Amino acid sequence: MADSPLIRVSNLQKVYPNGVHALKGVSFDVRPGEFLVVIGLSGSGKSTLLRSLNHLVEPTSGTIEFKGRDITHPDARTARELRTRMAMIFQHFNLVGRHSVLSNALMGALHRTPVWRSMAGLFSEEDRHLAQHYLDLVGIGAKSRVRADSLSGGQQQRVAIARALMQKPEVLLADEPVASLDPATCHTVMDYLRKVNTELGITILCNLHFLSLVREYGTRVIALKGGEIVFAGSPSEIDDAWFARIYGEGAREMHIR
Amino acid sequence: MKTKALVFDALSLAYFAALALAAALHPTAREFQHFFQSAARGFGLVAGLLALGGLAAYPFHRFKARTLGSAIFAGPVRDPAPPPPWYRNLAVIHFILLFGLTCYVGGVMTQLSLRDMLDADGLGGAKRLGLALATPNWKVLPDAILATLQTIYMAFLATVFAIPVSFLLSFPAAKNIASRSRAGLALYSVLRLILNVTRSVEALVWAIIFGVWVGIGPFAGMLALFVHSVASLTKQYSEIIECVSHGPVEGIQSTGASLVQELWFGIVPQIILPYTSFTIYRWDINVRMATIVGLVGGGGIGTLLNEYQGEALWHEVGCIIVVIAIVVWLMDSASAYLREAIK
Repeated sequence: MADSPLIRVSNLQKVYPNGVHALKGVSFDVRPGEFLVVIGLSGSGKSTLLRSLNHLVEPTSGTIEFKGRDITHPDARTARELRTRMAMIFQHFNLVGRHSVLSNALMGALHRTPVWRSMAGLFSEEDRHLAQHYLDLVGIGAKSRVRADSLSGGQQQRVAIARALMQKPEVLLADEPVASLDPATCHTVMDYLRKVNTELGITILCNLHFLSLVREYGTRVIALKGGEIVFAGSPSEIDDAWFARIYGEGAREMHIR
Repeated sequence: MKTKALVFDALSLAYFAALALAAALHPTAREFQHFFQSAARGFGLVAGLLALGGLAAYPFHRFKARTLGSAIFAGPVRDPAPPPPWYRNLAVIHFILLFGLTCYVGGVMTQLSLRDMLDADGLGGAKRLGLALATPNWKVLPDAILATLQTIYMAFLATVFAIPVSFLLSFPAAKNIASRSRAGLALYSVLRLILNVTRSVEALVWAIIFGVWVGIGPFAGMLALFVHSVASLTKQYSEIIECVSHGPVEGIQSTGASLVQELWFGIVPQIILPYTSFTIYRWDINVRMATIVGLVGGGGIGTLLNEYQGEALWHEVGCIIVVIAIVVWLMDSASAYLREAIK
């Protein structure tokens, strides 16, 4: 069943308590193994979409299916299990600044560590090795003893990727992972995400701003505008006319080399 | 915003009316007491004054005058017209009237009197006492030091016992944590109410209560400081939690961690230093408070001070004051230095 989607989102709506209608009926599929990019202006609902997938935001209506199972309104325990399987990285990395890089990577193993053991910092030997392994994988293994807040932005995002991998996830949700990085670092981080996608076979859903990055890394793209999907297809199909439609007339494309 | 402005103006006008009434009738304490003995009369008067204030304030708002209330609760949108000079600005005149009258009434209430201050007899007495204090009797120094040590340890224990209690209470007492669930919000409201009531009861009063409970002495003083410390520390701790950045918390949450892990790894690393700093400061405050608590029999230097002062042994009191001053100064500097160092 190569065609069966990993995630199926149907008519998803989100209205925030302050009345903002962030998602107005979004439907799409995520196929196993793809690098799906979500683009759109700030406030178009990209972030809300990603956050509803792992229940950091509770959707108002519509359904989310994960491997054919309805996960729209899970109970607290199921929500935690789902978050484990759908790891997430953030624009501002969201690391624990005062903890070491290794400790931050180990946070990805919290769900399988008993609470009191984790509070005492007693992670299993296996998880310690795995954390070091993933830190090496994203090229930051040498800094494992350093405090996380002393790293540069790009390095912190790589630690966040290692933390996500520690969860042994099936999906990686990346919420504007490079939006606060400089262009060179941006490519480093995106290259590691591609590595995670192709080498570890983890499906990636990634919010991005820059079309040049979308064309380079995405295998498929959907575009949101005002909480609705206005485009779904291959990155190469986005021409100037589509660009104007997604970002509004008068917008100009920025290139990242 | 408009309602708040109107309420403010109405209240301040009702206050003016009450002052005017008091000035016109000039009731004696006995008359005042007699009048308010009937609850209906009391409520009637207050309600009448408030209604009068509201009635008087309403036309100002109806015709959009720049009252003090509307100046304070202006909100983000500013009046585009330039403000008039201060002597024609209603808000400024209102403020000067409010402030000036309150100062004047304050003077009357506290029976401010230059004559009492410059009275020859009084001055002579103060001079005699001052001289006695300035020539301390060092014979009581060992006693004073021993009592001070008792005070310091009493304050220390009260702080140490308060830390774990406040640490645990601070999470449900923080709005950002409590607002995650309805039950949390309910607990938050109850907790805040209890803490506010506890904190508004002075440590001095707690010392009297515990004095009856466990008997007068340092133990009662320590318990009084403990209760007061729990209330104060929990409030300060929870305010720190309300200021943490949400990023790391969300990061931990996104890994599928449990609530306790989320708090332990997302929040605790962010609050540990401010907590330590506030705790050291609380010990410092408790040493000073322990002195006051001692005055009502809470043990330590305060009790000693009370004994000598009761017998008008001013030279001995002078010695104790010197010891207290030195300890307070030392604790203050040490705690400031430590708090600066761990920042």
